[in-house]
Amino acid sequence: MTDFSIRSDNVDVEQIMRQIRSRIREKRGVDYTEEEIRELANVKLEKFLDPRGVRSDLLEQFRRKREASLPPNFKFEDTTLYETHRGFLAFMRKLLNPILKLFFNPNPLIEALNIQSKLNAQQAALEPLYYEVIHNLVLETTRLGIDVKNLKMRVESMSSRLDFDERRARALEGVVQYRPGAVAPLQPPTSGDERQPRTESDQAERRNRRRRRRGRRRPDDRTGARGAEGPRSAESASGAEAARGTEGVESAAGENRERSWDDGGTRHNDSQSFAPESNSGHGDRSDSSSNGGNDSES
Amino acid sequence: MKLAIAVQRYGADINGGAELHARYVAERLARHAQVEVVTTCARDYVTWKNERPAGVEQINGIPVRRFPVVHERDPNHFGRLSRRVFDEPHSIADELAWLDGEGPASPALIDYLERASPGLDFVLFFSYRYYHAWHGARRVSSQAILVPTAERDPAIGLGIFGPTFRGVRAVMYNSHEERAMIHTATGNQAVPGVVVGIGSEIPSRSEPQRFRKKHNIQRPFAIYVGRIDENKGCKELFDFFLRYAATFPRGLDLVLIGSPIIPIPQHPRIHHLGFLPDEDKFDGIAASDLLIMPSYFESLSMVALEAWALGRPVLANGRCDVLKGQCIRSGAGLYYERYEEFAETLYSLESNGPLNARLGRNGRDYFSQHYTWPVIEGKYLDMFDRLKRDDAAGAARKAVEPLPGWLGRRRRDQRPASQVLADIPSGAVVSGRDGAHDLSRSA
Repeated sequence: MTDFSIRSDNVDVEQIMRQIRSRIREKRGVDYTEEEIRELANVKLEKFLDPRGVRSDLLEQFRRKREASLPPNFKFEDTTLYETHRGFLAFMRKLLNPILKLFFNPNPLIEALNIQSKLNAQQAALEPLYYEVIHNLVLETTRLGIDVKNLKMRVESMSSRLDFDERRARALEGVVQYRPGAVAPLQPPTSGDERQPRTESDQAERRNRRRRRRGRRRPDDRTGARGAEGPRSAESASGAEAARGTEGVESAAGENRERSWDDGGTRHNDSQSFAPESNSGHGDRSDSSSNGGNDSES
Repeated sequence: MKLAIAVQRYGADINGGAELHARYVAERLARHAQVEVVTTCARDYVTWKNERPAGVEQINGIPVRRFPVVHERDPNHFGRLSRRVFDEPHSIADELAWLDGEGPASPALIDYLERASPGLDFVLFFSYRYYHAWHGARRVSSQAILVPTAERDPAIGLGIFGPTFRGVRAVMYNSHEERAMIHTATGNQAVPGVVVGIGSEIPSRSEPQRFRKKHNIQRPFAIYVGRIDENKGCKELFDFFLRYAATFPRGLDLVLIGSPIIPIPQHPRIHHLGFLPDEDKFDGIAASDLLIMPSYFESLSMVALEAWALGRPVLANGRCDVLKGQCIRSGAGLYYERYEEFAETLYSLESNGPLNARLGRNGRDYFSQHYTWPVIEGKYLDMFDRLKRDDAAGAARKAVEPLPGWLGRRRRDQRPASQVLADIPSGAVVSGRDGAHDLSRSA
């Protein structure tokens, strides 16, 4: 009976995943473990910051609920204990009050309840203010949370683009070569008068040098002249050609990659290696070294 | 050869994983044997309410015998029982109560199997965790072949299932991960078993252009096929994809095929096409750059197999051992466990043509080697032959261990099932030679 046989046909998925993870580590610096991420995710800040959780009529609802649920505050004065709508009863209570005071002193009780009633009134006035402050804070925090989220996404987007540009730049750097006469090589900064020939003999010398150079640059002589310059220069020339060829390939690869993002229809580049960095072409370094030969010739 | 297939629900309109699996296997094995399906009258897997008439009917040429369920499931009661057996020390009696609470309790079905068993060669029980499989496998253990369709959930840690797994004639596993988990949980290494899975009817020709034209999708896209549900990892997929879309404004679109259970974000690059017929589904997969499988729990993903059959790579959730293992073994898919990995793997599959093509090619090979119907049928038939040879040779058979006595069943000596599950090593089965014991696990 046949069971599964394990085969991978030259693709080691685990190896690819290892490369992907190491690239992520390089990018991020810190690699959280799954447990750490879960722990972070368990902090339920999101719930609080959810803008849908904040009601625009929060204050109004609070007031309504408070009125419905809280008992009304009481007023407590020194006469409250003896109050009645029956005149006779009020008279009797007043009459018997001294006798009541023989048993206990109601004044501290009256005073305490009076203070309590005032405190209740103050608290009732403060509560909406507190709530308003909290409401504003929640709104502000939500807005900040959204801003932070947007900024995070923008940073991620920028960093990915930067990463892509860096890879592309690295690929292009590898094939950039110095061509004599095309761009003047960078010179150390010098003072203005040093550039001027100092004497008449200097100027004559420069004129002669220029004439000699013009004499050498006969168009029909070009190949022969090159060959006469010896094997080293021939080597350099082929190196330059090779480098030019590579440049073409690399630029095409670069363009192709670029197109894969710009053109919705063509997604796949021609790279044979899975890693996007592979476009930088490791062979490019040797091409640069042959450019070095060119430089030395000139 | 006469076979019975016992499954909790059955019908042409039932698309649940194990039920569909059972139907496909029944219809395929019917070409080689006389097959009868034994099932319940239930249609809803939450309540097990009797919705179909009891008796025999024909479905796609297969006789289906239905038996009533004696009581519906009470979700609250079942929830309480589940908490008790999964999270607290408990007794065997608690586990039996849990099994009864889970359902679909149909003693008539079990009695019928016992009565019919002398005329049957084998009885295939689908889904180990349900009433019919546990009671049925014990009652006709000498003919019982179990197709467990087990996922990594605490039920596998319950003590009552160990004797069943050790007492049946054979076990047909869906994946290497499932086999490794069951071996560890129940110690049934001595029971003949084979990783089979399930085949799929792949059309010989698909037309991606037709799909693009019909649904007006011009841009390259990744596809998700299945129920759009949080349990299937779709919420996480949406979060990840929205971030990816913001990072790569000209990257792949996401096409969703399936019925939505959760809201789908409104985004110009997310296209929901609803439930589509099979033809459109296959054309859609063929038109896509890759299939995304974000599910955390799968015993076998048929959609992933279909994508591989059509030469498309799969990007799977690496927290699902089975999917991860399949990606590694086939060399036909990548996987992610968090956003950074999602972005990098999707980017790699999207931008690297040769990698995408090679993974797709591997997928096609993997499918044709392991999941075409002749291969699947061959594995079942080989297993039947092997068991018959054992019978003919008079090989000693191990009966199902009996339950402890009245007092023993009430002793609270069973560990919480979730703890048992936590002790079972997880991870994809990735490397080594063919065979259960040569494969090692990768966390």
